[in-house]
Amino acid sequence: MATKDIFNKCIELNKILNNICIARITVFCLFLLLFLSVPYAHSEQTVIRILYLNDFHGFAEPYKPFGSDENLGGIAYLSAKLNSLRNERDSLLLSAGDMIQGNNWANLSQGESVIELINAMKFDAMVLGNHEFDFGQDVLKKLISEAKFPVLGSNVENLDLVKPYVIKEIAGVKIGIIGVVTDDTPVTTHPRNVAGLTFISPEDSAQKYIKELKGRTDIIVVLSHIGYSADRLLPERAEGIDVIVGGHSHTKVLSPTIINKTIVLQAWEHAKALGVLDLTIADGRIEKYEGHLEEIRPELGKDDKNITAIVEKYQKKVDTVLNETVGEAEADLDGENVRKRETNLGDFIADIIREESGSDIALINGGGIRASIRKGEIKEKHVYTVLPFDNYIVAVKLSGRQIREALEHGVSAIEEGAGRFPQVSGLSFTYSRAEKPGSRVKEILIAGNLIDLNKEYSVATNDFLAAGGDGYKAFGDAVKSSKDFSIVGGTMKGEKLIYSDSGRWLRDVVIEYIKGKRIISPAIEGRITETP
Amino acid sequence: MKVYVNDIPIEILPGMTVRHALISADLLRETESSKRVFDEWGNEIGLNGALFEGAKIYVR
Repeated sequence: MATKDIFNKCIELNKILNNICIARITVFCLFLLLFLSVPYAHSEQTVIRILYLNDFHGFAEPYKPFGSDENLGGIAYLSAKLNSLRNERDSLLLSAGDMIQGNNWANLSQGESVIELINAMKFDAMVLGNHEFDFGQDVLKKLISEAKFPVLGSNVENLDLVKPYVIKEIAGVKIGIIGVVTDDTPVTTHPRNVAGLTFISPEDSAQKYIKELKGRTDIIVVLSHIGYSADRLLPERAEGIDVIVGGHSHTKVLSPTIINKTIVLQAWEHAKALGVLDLTIADGRIEKYEGHLEEIRPELGKDDKNITAIVEKYQKKVDTVLNETVGEAEADLDGENVRKRETNLGDFIADIIREESGSDIALINGGGIRASIRKGEIKEKHVYTVLPFDNYIVAVKLSGRQIREALEHGVSAIEEGAGRFPQVSGLSFTYSRAEKPGSRVKEILIAGNLIDLNKEYSVATNDFLAAGGDGYKAFGDAVKSSKDFSIVGGTMKGEKLIYSDSGRWLRDVVIEYIKGKRIISPAIEGRITETP
Repeated sequence: MKVYVNDIPIEILPGMTVRHALISADLLRETESSKRVFDEWGNEIGLNGALFEGAKIYVR
């Protein structure tokens, strides 16, 4: 090979080496660029806010809770706070259930007022609570169809319009929200309200839909109405939950609880608090969280005027409904003497309770009747004044001996005018105050026959006495021995329990009864006779 | 359903609430003063709050 050829080859080789070198530098630069860009992408964070409310129960106006010197709550004040928190960052507003039933403001429109309210507040999702069923399925379906947000209940089968979950995207973060409601619902509302529905285990349902959402969302929120205690157990039984927004137990969780890396929250009750949770999301994961409750107090001029308008509109309707005539009384209905003798109003209410529950007898405390009704028109507000407490009907089986004990207790403090004095239906008895307490009751007749102390009778009462209120130990004993509750023939039954309808206040049952009869004329029938 | 009020066992019906447990324990009037009800983890709870089998609540 000539020297010239060798020289040319060297130049070509040099060019090749130069090209390789340039290529190497290019590749190096690309890697460098990639290397620098990766940590930058990882450090990109998004902060989102979850705002939450539970167990509102229609408490639209501020009120003074037991033991408090100040008014708390007020949904218009809560909404104003909500608006300012929403303005700070991208937010999601969630309800953990029990919104539509409880206070008159909700009950008298059968939840319609609440749906209008929470539509205006622009909720993003709500889970059904057990009390959402209290007005029956037709009303519930109507309200769900009017809601401008998804209503969730993944463990409720056969209920149209209810969704198991929803996926929301805020600030580029995809959030899967699964709803679960307590599977105790059939024993906390009248069984007719849940006829044909099946409530499966919230844990199983949550697990199922967590699997379904895997890979489709950045974080998973369970919107739960199963109570704080069950919420604390849920992360152990259903892995993959980032946040549980809970309700049902009315728990004031001041700052987030962490269970197995899951954030567990609940915001008390009755719009007395608004829950706030800020989540810092990076690379599809929660990197940081910060949460607290905003306690709500009415402050002059600091309400959301749009919400105040809705509250006032329905309050006017409440006033109108309360002024509606439901029937007519042909005699004065005596609520003044219910703590010392049989009265026609006591008889009337006891009769309704007995009839509604299909019991042999009824026994209520005179102290539960708080006013009289004058002869003439009966307005809804009159019945509310007579029966102001949120009591419901319960019926249990008592032995004749226990009934005697209950009556003895009922007349044991007659001298003091104690509220325990009984008003009865389906039985009559005599007593003498000359005897010592505990030995005052003489003859007891049930359906015209002498009571059989060893026989069991079905006895209707209110939930206050059924819990042992006013010292009625006999009911407490029946509850103690009543086991294995189940739904039989349309009502919840146990060994001793035969009826319980916690979703319908006694006063509403009485109003419906009067509306059905139109004219009532109860008279004293000699059910309770005092002897010398 | 058995629940505990200030560590004393109380029997109430399913569906009954904190209020009923306090009635049964004759402690409802305590809440009319400044006393409040707490769960076993120290969280305040409302009188209409749901209870569960074995729940422990405290009035203080």
